[in-house]
Amino acid sequence: MDKVELLAPAGDLERLKIAYHYGADAVYCSGKKYGLRANASNFTLEELKSATNIAHSLGKKLYVTVNILFHEEEVEGLDTYLKNLDKIGVDAIIASDILVIKKAKEMHLSFEVHVSTQASILNSEAALFYKNLGVTRLVLAREAHLNDIQEIKKRTNLDLECFVHGAMCTSFSGRCVLSNHCTNRDANRGGCAQICRWTFSIDSVDTPYSMTPKDLNLIEYISRMIDAGVNSFKVEGRMRGIYYIATVILVYRRVLDKILMHKLSNAEVKYYLDVLNRVANRESTPQFIDGLPSKEEQYFLGRDEVSNQDFLGLVLQYDKKNKMATIEQRNYFKLGDVVEFFGPHLETFSYKIEKIYDENGDAIGIANHPKMIIKLKVNTTLEKFDMMRIKVFDKQDYM
Amino acid sequence: MSVEEKMTSNFLLVVTEEAFLDLKVKNINFLFPIKGLSVGFLKTFAIEDIPIDGAYLYINRILDTEAICILKEILTKLDEKTIGLCFTDLGVLQIVKGLGLSLKLIYMQNHNATNVDSINYYLDDVDSVLVSTDITKEEMISILDGAKKPLVIPYFMLADAMYSRRTLLTNFQEEFALEKKSIETLHENMAGLDFLGIENEYGTVLYAKKYIDYRFFTHPNIAYSFINPLGLDKKNLEKVLDGKSALEISNTGFLYQKTYYRLKEE
Repeated sequence: MDKVELLAPAGDLERLKIAYHYGADAVYCSGKKYGLRANASNFTLEELKSATNIAHSLGKKLYVTVNILFHEEEVEGLDTYLKNLDKIGVDAIIASDILVIKKAKEMHLSFEVHVSTQASILNSEAALFYKNLGVTRLVLAREAHLNDIQEIKKRTNLDLECFVHGAMCTSFSGRCVLSNHCTNRDANRGGCAQICRWTFSIDSVDTPYSMTPKDLNLIEYISRMIDAGVNSFKVEGRMRGIYYIATVILVYRRVLDKILMHKLSNAEVKYYLDVLNRVANRESTPQFIDGLPSKEEQYFLGRDEVSNQDFLGLVLQYDKKNKMATIEQRNYFKLGDVVEFFGPHLETFSYKIEKIYDENGDAIGIANHPKMIIKLKVNTTLEKFDMMRIKVFDKQDYM
Repeated sequence: MSVEEKMTSNFLLVVTEEAFLDLKVKNINFLFPIKGLSVGFLKTFAIEDIPIDGAYLYINRILDTEAICILKEILTKLDEKTIGLCFTDLGVLQIVKGLGLSLKLIYMQNHNATNVDSINYYLDDVDSVLVSTDITKEEMISILDGAKKPLVIPYFMLADAMYSRRTLLTNFQEEFALEKKSIETLHENMAGLDFLGIENEYGTVLYAKKYIDYRFFTHPNIAYSFINPLGLDKKNLEKVLDGKSALEISNTGFLYQKTYYRLKEE
């Protein structure tokens, strides 16, 4: 079996550190130019250098998206940008435009070139076309069926990367310019205004027309995807916060590890599904992996999203001697609440809040200011970047 | 260039109505959407039903493994009646090269042909490329000036705004128990735009409902002027080909409207 990789998104350095800490083998992000999240904070070249150093110091990888479709005005500067990425030592770029793929090869740069999901690869012949260009990995279209994956692997033996979790485009990625038409923002250069999540009307029909897909969630298919030849399991969400990234990456880390050890039970999958569904703001489904999505895999009344306020606090440090955790508050909590702590080196555990101390050590009853620093006495050893959340599910109930 | 001169240009016309095959226009080339391999059209053709010589086949589906099998079978049946393929999925190119077929190849992924360097890379392998409808006039000129082979340009066409593998009309109709229709106009109320949705079993295409009209645009490096007359009948298409005004049903797309993508400067 090929090596299996968990690939996480990061919109900035904080999220990148969280992603690695929670078990990502690699992170993908964008520089300030040429990425499809033009309005995310993204990384300066200096930050990309830091990110690469962090990744390599952990024995992990960093991939940079250079995946816009270039217009004439963006072409100038591309060579320099690619040289800079090479100098920084990023492990790979993720490209969509043939210009970027060809340039990277012609310039003999040392990073790998991965073909973006924007290229909509669903068949082995298209895969061979890109293999002949010298790429080492394909990010397949989210529309790929297990049979497509298997056939592409068989005929190319390239590394295959598949999205397993997160938001979906209604269209094939890269084949939509609704945003250009409705808002003049170019979807294929990072300006997508998500018009497919708006509602439309149809003459003679009273009901608003909507085509918003539910999110992707392939946790139940990971084992079969490994068997089909997938090397890298990719989570969507460069705009997502640290709590989402930590929760999703930790779940997939544990699932992948257990699958590789042949120890994953159906009960655990059910538990992890509930955890994943809780952290998302939309429902999720397997989408295309085993057939064409029906009406059940989309919404019909526009954006049907909920804001998640489960994230209560981020552990900043832990004093082992006094068993005191210093925590940065993220959502309201109070004395008497039953919460839970989770982290990559921690078995998730419940905790009843009996005392809260402020920064000065004075007892308080509630933590109600965003990012206020509080202290809790916790007997189980915690570490920096562990998180506290509302307790909703108890894993024991599933076993 | 006068309209008369323009009429001597090579047109590449999608056959959305069989009646178009009787058009009395010089230098017209017919492009047939192929059954099982195309999306966004109500009428598609089996190879054996194509009634003329010199046909181009239109394969605009993103092809999955099953579709590749259909395509390979079709390619083995081709005779000299077919002169070329217009395609979206690069797998088509790979197969044709592998089989050593002597066909004219035109790469037609509308959103992908937005700069001359990329187009020139594709032109290493194909005879021509359809220039995107997503670019400005200056960008179009720059591309045509720099392209190493003559290109296909939009002439008068419904431009695809979105292509989904999902059956988006069926899903909606099933959810609300509505009459089954494969074509529907969607109104977007905030921007005040209409989109024409056409679905078949391979997916749904939304077209911007106003035709893009670049009939006035000329350049020496044009191989074909592309026409997708979906929704027009023969009489109206003849008017378009005669150079008659089509202001009510058309616009100039992004030719004079530059798109942007950053909401703020860094």
